[in-house]
Amino acid sequence: MVEREARLERVDPWSLVKFDRKKMRKSPWMELWLMLGIIVISYIALALISLGLETPPGGMSARVISALLCGFFLLSTAIAILAVIVGIGGGVIFTPIMLAFTDVNSLIVRATGLVVAMFSGLISTGPFMRRGLGNMKICVTGVSSYGLGALLGASGAIWVAEHLGKTGEGIIRIILGIIVGLVIIYFLKGGKKIEYPVVTKTDRFTEFLKLSQPYYEESLGRVIDYKLTRFAFTMLALAGVGVLSGFFGMGGGWVATPAQNLIAGVPLKVAAANSGIILGMGDCIGVWPYIKAGAMIPLFAAPWLVGQVVGGLIGAYILIKVRALVVRYILTGILIATCFGLITKGLYMLGYIPKVPPIASLVVFGVSLAIFGYKLWKEVKLEGGE
Amino acid sequence: MGAKEGKVEIPLAQLIYGDVVYWLCVIAAIICTIGPVIVTAFPDNNVLNPHYTFSAIFKGETPTKVWKATGQGFPGPHFYLEYPSAGDAITMFGIALGCSSALWALIAAAIGGYLREKPRNYIYAAFCFWVAFIIFYAAAIR
Repeated sequence: MVEREARLERVDPWSLVKFDRKKMRKSPWMELWLMLGIIVISYIALALISLGLETPPGGMSARVISALLCGFFLLSTAIAILAVIVGIGGGVIFTPIMLAFTDVNSLIVRATGLVVAMFSGLISTGPFMRRGLGNMKICVTGVSSYGLGALLGASGAIWVAEHLGKTGEGIIRIILGIIVGLVIIYFLKGGKKIEYPVVTKTDRFTEFLKLSQPYYEESLGRVIDYKLTRFAFTMLALAGVGVLSGFFGMGGGWVATPAQNLIAGVPLKVAAANSGIILGMGDCIGVWPYIKAGAMIPLFAAPWLVGQVVGGLIGAYILIKVRALVVRYILTGILIATCFGLITKGLYMLGYIPKVPPIASLVVFGVSLAIFGYKLWKEVKLEGGE
Repeated sequence: MGAKEGKVEIPLAQLIYGDVVYWLCVIAAIICTIGPVIVTAFPDNNVLNPHYTFSAIFKGETPTKVWKATGQGFPGPHFYLEYPSAGDAITMFGIALGCSSALWALIAAAIGGYLREKPRNYIYAAFCFWVAFIIFYAAAIR
């Protein structure tokens, strides 16, 4: 919600309805059209090529490969748009779902998950920096510690995979299930946030860094200047977020935003913009141990990367008009089912319980949707009554 | 120095960083769109055989086994330098370009922004070079 609000500020959605031709020839429309054109041509070419190719014995046919590539791209685009609507990083959706419901090795999932998380951050960096909502000084100082955490986390993930084997895979799923549980609580409770924190006392380290940078707040029609404090502790917290992001390959924007907002006193919108930039910049470090371990399979990761870039652009600029609350509830339902899937799969891999059929996760999803549907119905009824 | 947004001047280093990262991401995405088409069109001209890659991945094989089952083993993270014409090497180049975009952007921001400001901002130029070094260390040395 926080990040979404920040992104909502970027472009007047009504300007899109008019389809101004002059605007369409400028950035970001120009590159978006170019990319969409290349994607359409590429997938048509892929489909035509796959019709004439022979399948080697025991291999997958080119048609299935093409369908998978196209499916991954569409899924990634949908995740990116959904992530913009609900205000979380794509990695938080991708990594847990893939680990809970597929047999893909966790290193491959986490490497691709980092690509998903970082590219949704990287593509939003340009607009946030141009608008002045992002603060380069906070980001680069934060990443100097976040990056080390990400490197440590990613190297730890490789070590665990190499030394603990199947047990490690099970443990990772259970811990990730608990983290997804925390994300769900954060989602439902919203967490503590202060829109414009008032800093009365600053410390010498933060003052020395001269981090604050005024920004123009459109909703208020004035320039907001802000003081910061306790940045050394913020850097420490960001190092922890880096470890989380690097180890689980899921990003950590949902922790990075409150870390800046509550510890250093960064205004909420700036913190939300910064968290995407920090994630993009910092995961450029965390992703390399995975690439070096061979966990980045180019053919598997590429469509996810492209989907994040295209979906990020569409989500950030077009701003699909849907009720964020509905999407939020559906996503929470998906995350509850994913949490259940991760913990049961982890326990199964450790040999504690028998294999839980996938239908059980579907039942959990259905029950949570029914509960949220009832909650939504009550809220709508209350609004109508008032 | 920098552009004006509303009533605020945005530092040049910030604009440079944002633009370099943004365009490198777009270029990386274009390469990663075209790469899989080349992989599928010329299945023999790849490091990984595409016909066996996905089945190995969905079986839950470890990365080492995926590379061994579908090719000659993992050739290293920068294998696009060795096999520049292979489809999956071109795709990997796109991924590597995107994953190192912050490195180039930070160097550009430090040199074109912080070190051109008056007075020069050595602290943030140093932070940019430090983070760029960690990315370089993670990508090339470690």
